[in-house]
Amino acid sequence: MTDTVCGYSGDRDEALIAYLYDDEDTARRAEFETHLAICWRCRDEVDALRGVRRQLARWSPPSFAVASHQPPVASHQSPATSHRTWWREIPAWAQVAAALLVLGVSAGVANLDVRYDRNGLSVRTGWSKPSTESAIAATGAAPGVGPAMPTPWRADLTALERQLRSEIRAVPASVATASHATAPARATPANDAEILRRVRALLDESEKRQQRELALRVGEVLRDVDAVRQADLRKIDRSLNGVQNSLGVEVLKQRESLNMLMRVSQRQ
Amino acid sequence: MTWTDEELVARSIGGDANSFNELILRWERPIYALAYRTIGREEDARDVCQETFLRAFRALPGFRGQAKFSSWLYRIALNLCRDWIRRERRTPVVQTPEDVDLMDLAAAAAPSESVEDLVARKDLARSVERAMARLPEEQRTAIVLKEYHGLTFQEIADLVGCPLSTVKTRLYQGLTVLRRELVKNANAPRALKS
Repeated sequence: MTDTVCGYSGDRDEALIAYLYDDEDTARRAEFETHLAICWRCRDEVDALRGVRRQLARWSPPSFAVASHQPPVASHQSPATSHRTWWREIPAWAQVAAALLVLGVSAGVANLDVRYDRNGLSVRTGWSKPSTESAIAATGAAPGVGPAMPTPWRADLTALERQLRSEIRAVPASVATASHATAPARATPANDAEILRRVRALLDESEKRQQRELALRVGEVLRDVDAVRQADLRKIDRSLNGVQNSLGVEVLKQRESLNMLMRVSQRQ
Repeated sequence: MTWTDEELVARSIGGDANSFNELILRWERPIYALAYRTIGREEDARDVCQETFLRAFRALPGFRGQAKFSSWLYRIALNLCRDWIRRERRTPVVQTPEDVDLMDLAAAAAPSESVEDLVARKDLARSVERAMARLPEEQRTAIVLKEYHGLTFQEIADLVGCPLSTVKTRLYQGLTVLRRELVKNANAPRALKS
């Protein structure tokens, strides 16, 4: 045991690490190897650190394919399929937000109408409405039949719907006629002005229709609320009458028992 | 034909989505492994991996090619790992042995490996993981980049932004701590038995 302290002239730790990872030029490597031949302390440490590196090599992260629940994507797959390898791993909150957004847009597109009234909860879409309305119109020939009682506004709505349908059918035809008629002289400013005028007219008409429909819907809601209120008032009235009747019976019984008691006491 | 990273980057910038996809396929495993070994959590490592590619995709038009694409990607991932460690204000987590499923263990066994060998291998891996978790972030990063990603000292220095000699010192100190910890872990079961 002659050299307990390493006598390496340079930075020993750096030289040792560079030698361990073989990340240095050959001259320095040769120099350190010469030192290792005479320094048992550095030899021991190099051996020990090699052992640490061997142990480090045993540590592998969990399989990426298993971890991400996805098979390795072959290079010949389509871009859309390949993109899913990382796009589909979206955080849960983002997926929920996206789902809500889709739901909201779907509800908007479907013109969803959710209502809770005396008939209970009802959900319907604007696009399914015509069939419902036509069914009601069909049963309207026999008023009072079936659970859905025909109401005046329903007839208005049916009429409005018929009118709108006929207008919608008429618009493409008129546009087609106009485009055919103006085809040879398409570029003239007069035709442009005419088309502009027609578009404006259509927009005005559409706006008026929307206003009419809004007014009808508001009226419908008000009537519904009023009907529910009336029904509730009737129910309350009936309940009060019932309570009064039972109270009256009780009072009569009390009076009879009192009279009887009076008669008994007078006899005594 | 195999494109280089830089060629794929150029094609991606030109609007070829397939090229960026190819880069992801090429680098997602190394980036995931880097994130996992740095922060020690499987789920978070996956998140870091995804976020790395998202950020790279967004920043791709600004990539001028001064560094290698892989170094650029590593830097993004390391910054994300550093953010994660700071946000969580803790050292990397070692996943507990209780999480180990016997079925997973059996599935992970090499065909020629006995159950005893498999358990010993898993124990050793866990022991290394635990020891790595004890290292300061700088030392751990240096070891991960050198040991598992084969970067040169100079590349690590450029990546983490420190002098070459500091990288070597961090590696030396880190390996020395690991040596001590691994010896301690190896002696612990014996001490319990005796």
